[in-house]
Amino acid sequence: MSASGTRPARTAALFLAPFFVVFGVFTVYPLVLSAILAVQQTHGPEHATFVGLDNFKALLGDPDFRKAVRNTIVYTLGSVFIQLPIALGLAMLLNQPGLKGRGIYRLIFFSPQLMGLVFVAMLAALVFEGRTGLLNVALENTLGRVIQPGDLLFWIPALEGVRWQMFPWLQTFIMPMLIVASLWMYVGYNMVYFLAALQNIDKSLVEACAVDGAGPIRRFWNVTVPSIRPVGSFVVLLSIIGSLQLFELPYIILEQSGGPQNRGLTIVMYLYQSGFESGDLGYASAIGWVLALMLIALALGQIWIMRREER
Amino acid sequence: MTMKDRVAGLWSGALSPGSLVIALCALVSGVVVLTTPIKREPGLELWMFSPEHALMYEPAAERWESETGTAVHARVFGIPALKRRMMGGFFAGVETSDLIEGERQMIGTAFAGPLDSVGFLDLTDRIEAEGLRDRINPASFTPWMSRGRIFGLPHDVHPVLLGYRADIVEAAGIDMSQIETWDDYERVLAPLMTDDNGDGEPDHYLLSFWENQIDNLEVLLLQGGGSMFDADGRCTLSSDTNAAVLAEILSWCLGDDRFCIEINEWTNTGHAQKIDGLAIGYLMPDWMCGIWLTQIPQLEGKVKLMPLPAFEPGGRRTSVRGGSMMGIPKTSQNIEEAWAFAKELYLSRDLAQELYNKTGIVTPVTELWDDPVFDEPSPYFSGQPTGRLYIEQAPHIPARYASPYYWNGLLALRNAATIVAEQARSRGLSTPEELLPLAKNALVSEQRSVDQLLNRNAFLAEGTP
Repeated sequence: MSASGTRPARTAALFLAPFFVVFGVFTVYPLVLSAILAVQQTHGPEHATFVGLDNFKALLGDPDFRKAVRNTIVYTLGSVFIQLPIALGLAMLLNQPGLKGRGIYRLIFFSPQLMGLVFVAMLAALVFEGRTGLLNVALENTLGRVIQPGDLLFWIPALEGVRWQMFPWLQTFIMPMLIVASLWMYVGYNMVYFLAALQNIDKSLVEACAVDGAGPIRRFWNVTVPSIRPVGSFVVLLSIIGSLQLFELPYIILEQSGGPQNRGLTIVMYLYQSGFESGDLGYASAIGWVLALMLIALALGQIWIMRREER
Repeated sequence: MTMKDRVAGLWSGALSPGSLVIALCALVSGVVVLTTPIKREPGLELWMFSPEHALMYEPAAERWESETGTAVHARVFGIPALKRRMMGGFFAGVETSDLIEGERQMIGTAFAGPLDSVGFLDLTDRIEAEGLRDRINPASFTPWMSRGRIFGLPHDVHPVLLGYRADIVEAAGIDMSQIETWDDYERVLAPLMTDDNGDGEPDHYLLSFWENQIDNLEVLLLQGGGSMFDADGRCTLSSDTNAAVLAEILSWCLGDDRFCIEINEWTNTGHAQKIDGLAIGYLMPDWMCGIWLTQIPQLEGKVKLMPLPAFEPGGRRTSVRGGSMMGIPKTSQNIEEAWAFAKELYLSRDLAQELYNKTGIVTPVTELWDDPVFDEPSPYFSGQPTGRLYIEQAPHIPARYASPYYWNGLLALRNAATIVAEQARSRGLSTPEELLPLAKNALVSEQRSVDQLLNRNAFLAEGTP
């Protein structure tokens, strides 16, 4: 090879080197190490015993892990099927032609995102608290002192005659409460994506559809949905990944535990408890790998669905 | 083209001024960080979680410096931060501090690995050689022991008494001296559970306790003879004794005749409910007296203390809650000085008096229990000598054994309690006899999850006595 031929290659290598160093140190090395840890039992980095696939086998039989997976899936479904439709609905409302103060509304809906998850979690805990929570005080003042026939929760037999003020939302309905709290945080955030997508829809398409006699619902399904599909898919994927990594919200609301009977335990919380509270980094790594495999499978599944629809 | 020219070309052509500034900043800051030596102030470094303790130790630290020439630098962290720093140092084998004053819920994790990997210095031989085993309340050692070895000097005893609203009880003409058992308590105080203000709820409940109060569940479990772990570190959650105690105490929270109410121990709302007299009785460890004194001054002269009612006639009249210890990390460069200062703090009469006066906490050093300070009447507690009342019960506190999975055990206990309470409410059950099989099933199920953690830990088996 001539000297002139090697120079561009060397220059390219020089420019790529910082990326590879950073990628190697902060991505490849931790990945390899976590794979090694996942087949060990550890007590800090000094003490490790090879246990083969025992950590993964233990995970399969671990009721707390199963509960964490179930809770995380419930939250993820809530995010996708409740949060995103509300975000899209809000975006469509804000996209109405001639709407005054669109920027202000957008800021108002987006503003919980500016506060941060920790504050949202702390406020949610105050709202849903048992005896002194804002929700219970409001329910008692509006619906009456005790839960009566026709009330929201009367269908739960044991609650008949219970005082609204005593209703333990965070013990009984942890996951629904987490989903409600996250609505406050993320609806506005996702709405911004949807609004941007809606504003980019070719207006001539909508007008042509209307001229052809299509009503609002038909226009929504035949023009709006296909037009915002790329953004929608991106938001769905982000929501799924974010939901599967749920940690701070329940960690703060439930005061650093999974709540009564681990009803609010999530996969990442369990990973944190195992690795950093119990000190078993091997088990935590195994949980991390299972979570990573779930994320990869979901991402691949979504790519497959999108490609099939494109064809 | 020479190498020098190539480098010059790279600087002048390939990198923009902004990139150059960033690269220079990174280079300079990297060099500064790498070349700056870690400064360690001369003297002893003490890590602790309690700002109140830090203030209290200040005069002793100054005296220690004037007498020995060794300064003591106290650094206060929140418990989670202290635990992370402590465990990070222990795992990595790097220097942390010379002394760590730790709290019970954070220390157990240090005992999860092989015995020789515990980051604290094994104090057993020193304690035995210096006769401290006989000078300190025996049950105060157990939370700081693992596999038969002692890793911390106990700071306290923390017996639990019943604090009650004497003003309400005495106004109703009720004589508390007739109470020996919890059954007596419910029967004697029952007349107070009337609804005079007509809001559909009793004006007073008899006890502040609820099925989800993790600390109070443990207090009552221990009082009733139950335990979460035995001396060998095995989980004992599903024992028959635990099931019986759990069934009994949950019956207090269930049914139309329940006499317990949930009152938050720390919030202003909870304090307002205490002032209103929503509950008559409270499970009060000695440290809680200091907290009430400063946070609820409105109750001065309205509260009294008495031994806990027993679960059966002649039974234990106290329990235990919380606890701290002073440990010496193995990596300390001043082990002998640290040990001497730890003893100065925890064994001295002056500090014991100050500890009691400022926080209500009684010392675990038995030879100091005759100090007159403990007999002084407390205006807050209606003139009672609160120190003496706690010291009378101190020798009877139940032993608690350490486990790296102590917190998991506590969570499992709370899970069992909430499961039983929910099942009972949905089926309309409320008597101890009805709750007993539910309690047994729930505890067996919850013990499985703790056992799973214990069984998976290959290190704990090594050196188990």
